Amino acid sequence: MTTTEHMSNEETSSPGTGDVVLEVRDLSVTFPSDDGPLPAVREVSYVLRRGEALGIVGESGSGKSVTSMAIMGLLPKNARVEGSAKVLGQEVVGLDDAEISKVRGNRIAMIFQDPLTSLNPVYTVGYQIAEAVLAHHKVGKKAAMARALELLELVDIPNPAQRLKQYPHELSGGMRQRVVIAIAMANEPDVIIADEPTTALDVTVQAQVLEALESARKETGAALVLITHDLGVVAGHVDRVGVMYGGRLVETGPVEEVFYRPRMPYALGLLGSLPRLDEDRNERLTPILGTPPSLLTLPGGCAFAPRCPMARDLCHEQEPSLLATAENGERVRVPVEDTGAHTAACHFSEELEGAQPTDLFRGTAVGAETTDTGGTADTGGTAESVAESEERAEQAERALARADGSGDTADGSGREAILTVRDLVKHFPIRSKGLLKRRIGEVQAVSGISLDLYEHETLALVGESGCGKSTTARLMLQLIRQTSGEVEYRGQPLHSMSQRQLRPLRRDLQLVFQDPFASLDPRMTVSDIVAEPLRIHGRRNGEAKKRVRELLELVGLNVEHGSRYPHEFSGGQRQRIGVARALALNPKVLILDEPVSALDVSIQAGVINLLEDLQDDLGLSYLFVSHDLSVVKHIADRVAVMYLGKIVETGTTEELFRAPAHPYTQALISAIPLPDPVKERTRERIVVTGDVPSPADPPSGCRFRTRCPKFADELSESERVKCVEEPPELVDRGTGHPDACHYSRAVELI
Amino acid sequence: MLVYTVRRVLGTIPILILASVLTFVLIDVSGDPLTQLRMQQPPPDPSVIELQEERLYLDRSMPERYWLWVTGIGGHGDIGLLQGEFGPSTQSNSYDIGAQLAERLGVTLRLVGAAMLLALGLAILAGVVSAMRQYSKIDYTLTFIGFLALSMPVFWFGGIMQHAGVSFNDLVGEQVFATIGDGLYQAQGEDLWGRITNALAYMTLPTIVLMLTSFASWSRYQRTAMLEVLNSDYVRLAKAKGLPNRVVVRRHALRTALIPLTTVVAVGIAGVIDGTVLTEQVFQWRGLGEFFVNAIETNDSYALMAWLLLSGVTVILANLVADLLYGVLDPRIRYE
Repeated sequence: MTTTEHMSNEETSSPGTGDVVLEVRDLSVTFPSDDGPLPAVREVSYVLRRGEALGIVGESGSGKSVTSMAIMGLLPKNARVEGSAKVLGQEVVGLDDAEISKVRGNRIAMIFQDPLTSLNPVYTVGYQIAEAVLAHHKVGKKAAMARALELLELVDIPNPAQRLKQYPHELSGGMRQRVVIAIAMANEPDVIIADEPTTALDVTVQAQVLEALESARKETGAALVLITHDLGVVAGHVDRVGVMYGGRLVETGPVEEVFYRPRMPYALGLLGSLPRLDEDRNERLTPILGTPPSLLTLPGGCAFAPRCPMARDLCHEQEPSLLATAENGERVRVPVEDTGAHTAACHFSEELEGAQPTDLFRGTAVGAETTDTGGTADTGGTAESVAESEERAEQAERALARADGSGDTADGSGREAILTVRDLVKHFPIRSKGLLKRRIGEVQAVSGISLDLYEHETLALVGESGCGKSTTARLMLQLIRQTSGEVEYRGQPLHSMSQRQLRPLRRDLQLVFQDPFASLDPRMTVSDIVAEPLRIHGRRNGEAKKRVRELLELVGLNVEHGSRYPHEFSGGQRQRIGVARALALNPKVLILDEPVSALDVSIQAGVINLLEDLQDDLGLSYLFVSHDLSVVKHIADRVAVMYLGKIVETGTTEELFRAPAHPYTQALISAIPLPDPVKERTRERIVVTGDVPSPADPPSGCRFRTRCPKFADELSESERVKCVEEPPELVDRGTGHPDACHYSRAVELI
Repeated sequence: MLVYTVRRVLGTIPILILASVLTFVLIDVSGDPLTQLRMQQPPPDPSVIELQEERLYLDRSMPERYWLWVTGIGGHGDIGLLQGEFGPSTQSNSYDIGAQLAERLGVTLRLVGAAMLLALGLAILAGVVSAMRQYSKIDYTLTFIGFLALSMPVFWFGGIMQHAGVSFNDLVGEQVFATIGDGLYQAQGEDLWGRITNALAYMTLPTIVLMLTSFASWSRYQRTAMLEVLNSDYVRLAKAKGLPNRVVVRRHALRTALIPLTTVVAVGIAGVIDGTVLTEQVFQWRGLGEFFVNAIETNDSYALMAWLLLSGVTVILANLVADLLYGVLDPRIRYE
């Protein structure tokens, strides 16, 4: 890798560069801001070998995307990039537009997060792929189009010849992301940087797209940098992992090493804060306290120290370097080229040997203060075991209480259903353009569902985007009116009440929104936001003030926070404000519409714990709408799985995850990536193909049959007739819980 | 695309009919064309008034008159849009509204066409430059010019330009800019070169005056559209493909950023027509603007209707063209 070599061999990979395709050294990115320079990335170094897959994990603001944008030269002009990034030995930092254009898309390609906006709406898919070919090869337009067709086949797009002539808006999100992958593959690059490539997609589509990426990579031999916040995706698809925090790499190593033997408290904490699909845990999650650091005011020492239960004086004074731990427990520097090494930026990483997340992140105050150097395992262990056994006893009691309850509700008697939905239907009309606005069809958002929400339980409504789960939630609150069907709250027919009649009942039924940034009025103080429902329902000022204080304390915020504005809070804190507002009127039922899906994992755990505590303390009933089965498994007592406006399977959480009977439920569970490298790579999967059909024109009979693996592979012609002609009812077919599949069979997946 | 075109064209028919009704009713109720005659001292002979009323069809009811105005059936052969007649004029018995309109349309089109093309070209240029150099000196300068132009009244700016033109002529001691008249008479009999210099001399100042407001608002729109597109994911992907910056800007950014401008320009035509009335007054062109002013001054209701209908049709057609262009530019519209 001498200078002469890459000078003379700018574009082609020369044997002299060895097998290193990307080498990043001390890369730093600083943005100017009104409040001073903002160090978004600080001294990141890594190497990527030919064909290798490196995962970069981190929460929002950790600098993971900015790093790769800097390598691609795609940062805005005002960004100051320092350090070096070499693609096949050629320095790419500081190149001018003409020079970097030759490298971009040729030797190094990039895939972006949102497939819906990544393609230009005015050009055909074929043109946009061919353009990538033509940018680097002097071939004719015909040849470029032929290559585009080849690439579409490579990423498994059905009817590629036809797709070539289509515009992006005619393709689904998953298909569009495949097109973006095809564009990235166009010139057989040596490096592909995928920046959250599947975050915007549904889980079943995510699985398909990741598979397409994998196979395309195999074909071209490209190395991959996979940037994601999803530890499950990383576990299944990369060889090595780098964890970023506060703009730095804080841990790197082979994926098994980092997942099974993390050496940095942050990585350990991240793993602990994840709700897991693969573990029977009714235990509480272990959130990392505090919030990610503001890059403008980074602490002097380790950026994680303010949140770290292990932090000591040294941590606050000196920023630890990224070092490996030698056999003798000493921390030693290893060259970046040593890709087998496991390094961590923690002064005390050797103490994490064999530690579990719960050792560190529960009862932190006691553990951290009493332990002396070296004694963590011992003292921490005993302190923990006491706390843990207490917790377990409590858990067991709670579980017992629930079991008691569900024992006599199996037949519907015993506990009372607080909110009941019967045969609920909601169709949204599609109207023609023009003056007449004729009704030319309807979107069947919800097609006859029945649900019971019992007192003091959490019922989860799960499904992919467009399945009608949010519409159902809104119908239950009567924020929109049903086409037909009934919604009853404690025996009162909400569906036939006027707005005026509903108003007093609204106190009991409250909503928490998904997006904590959009659901709080930026011009109102937190107190005003939380007090608003109280004012609407006619509470006096003094009374309201007192209540607001109570509520803020209840959701874990300081009373002083009341006078601040929403933008001063982090996502997790904002969601707490949203919960406080929902609780203001002492509701009986909370409808939670994806309440944690906009939050980072370390924050998400805290909000989930809060919701669980509130339910226990206040005896609330939750309808928990979510697409995330891991969270659902953690929080819900019962689950209803929705597909295209219908419930396809319902049961207790335990039953449903232990023995899912409907092929769709099975596919959903299979598609959730497990944050465990070995399990994720060896598990049995039930994979669905294609995209969700349009709810304006759902398939006849069973709505899932067009994507059903059972229908496609297992059933005989004569058996299929029933699926096509007869819509399956939601009944128990001998699996212990109801499902809507003519040929259901329980399968153990986890 | 054909279906789309046919649908859009058919869609304009009810709007045209509505426009004709509104035009007729608005003018018809807004005043009596014979006011001046009736007010004359000494009062004219009632038979004279009766004769005029009959000539102008004022002896018939309003619906009858509308029908007559559109079809010409039952008239004296000087009325009926469908027959190409716009009705009798109050200005004189021999004043042919249709012929006048056609003659003046030619004059005005020259001005409108030049102004719109110039405004559009400069607006796109300024918008793109501004967006690509956001918050630079040139962006601030163009923004300042834009808002200055937006806030200047046409008649005032027209006067200033005229004055400046005269001063310039005095300075160089030669008639470079003509500041009065449309120059069509002077161009008669000239060769091609003569016509061009004549046109430049007569058209430069009024064109600048007329295009200014449109340029200002369109360049702001173009800047916003361009900024949005430049920050879009697909422009980033185009760069990531390895396309050089100028190709990205031209092919991916500008191409999409032009789509919203088509609507703005189509709607803006109404503003340009407004502008011609004032500009032609200031520079004393015998165009449609002057026709309009004359018609108002003489209570010439059929002439007013003709002018209004023509502007209305122009705006409707411009919108139709924009709609069709939209279909060409944006495939998402085309395939609906």
